[in-house]
Amino acid sequence: MDLIELITEKRFIGQEFLTWLWFKSDERGGTVLLPVTGEDITLVFEKHMLLEFGEGDSHEKIVCTGLQAELKEARTGLRMGKKLEQARIHMIRGEYEWHMTIKASLMEFRSVRVPKTMDGADEGDSQEAVEGRLLDRIGLLEKVYKTFDELLGQFIKIRISDQWPGEADKLRNWIHHSDR
Amino acid sequence: MGLLSGSVTFVRYNVVGDIPQNFWDLASDQIKRFAFRDIDETYDEVSVGWVSVLNMFDAEFAYASFAAGDHICLTMRVDERKVSPKVLKKFCLKEEERIKKERQIPKISRGQRLEIKENMEMLLMKRAVPVPATYDLVWSLAENTVLFFSTNQKAQAQLEDFFKDTFGLLLSLDIPYTTAERLLSASELPALANISPAVLV
Repeated sequence: MDLIELITEKRFIGQEFLTWLWFKSDERGGTVLLPVTGEDITLVFEKHMLLEFGEGDSHEKIVCTGLQAELKEARTGLRMGKKLEQARIHMIRGEYEWHMTIKASLMEFRSVRVPKTMDGADEGDSQEAVEGRLLDRIGLLEKVYKTFDELLGQFIKIRISDQWPGEADKLRNWIHHSDR
Repeated sequence: MGLLSGSVTFVRYNVVGDIPQNFWDLASDQIKRFAFRDIDETYDEVSVGWVSVLNMFDAEFAYASFAAGDHICLTMRVDERKVSPKVLKKFCLKEEERIKKERQIPKISRGQRLEIKENMEMLLMKRAVPVPATYDLVWSLAENTVLFFSTNQKAQAQLEDFFKDTFGLLLSLDIPYTTAERLLSASELPALANISPAVLV
């Protein structure tokens, strides 16, 4: 299968992952456990979500905005079988925090607000200072996608295992009974 | 939305194939060979090339300024001359009117009209100022991944071609399925290939 076919055929994997992640975050009040490092991180779904339904001519999109607790329309969308395609996420890991929008089917990281780690006084123009700034910025971006790799790894291991029917039941239960 | 902006947007690529030994020397030569060349003073339609992430006018890379640790940081700059369709239409009509008056004819043939359009397009293209666009990338040599700071599909296709021309290596866009393939062991891959969409309602 070439990449274009994979993008079309397997887009549900990213969307199911993002839905599962919302469930995991909601289950523990915005905290998610990273299985490899055993670290708890904050991962809150906030303000903006995009759900989609159908393909081709019957493709529909709905955009839901609101505070974290008020994403009722998005939850209703899930209950109607719509897929979570895009979400705005607030992540805190260690001493740093990021805001980002994840586009699920292609795993695009959009509008990522990177934490500021240096004071203006540290920002010289020497070659070393510039390289330091670049490395600092790269490190903070790598932390974002590595965190998501770890979470995707956790999801996919469950998804292909015999734990999935039980996990899917919990997910269905959450979709149908949360915020009612 | 580039590497150094307050808010960044990126996708991830995997670099297919092994990086040869002495890669830094090779990379340095190739980056300079494929550095951006200005077309402001020429009539070229498009120019694609590498510039520094810090300054789109720096295509010299003094002191290997594309290197940061074991990362290569580059900006792909694309300058392109474009003529707006409305402007082209206006100049074609103007020229048609001029010819009709000069030759005292009521109508212009289809063939003539096409010729006028071709000539006008060429003339306007030469007059157009190249419009610049820049797209940053960070290539981690240790992990063989590239972060590309644009979700624009045309820019992504341009990057894939230009990266191959420069370094002789292919880029493969990372999507959840391919990331999952990397995260699982070989024995788990058949199970991944067989999963179908879950019904969650």
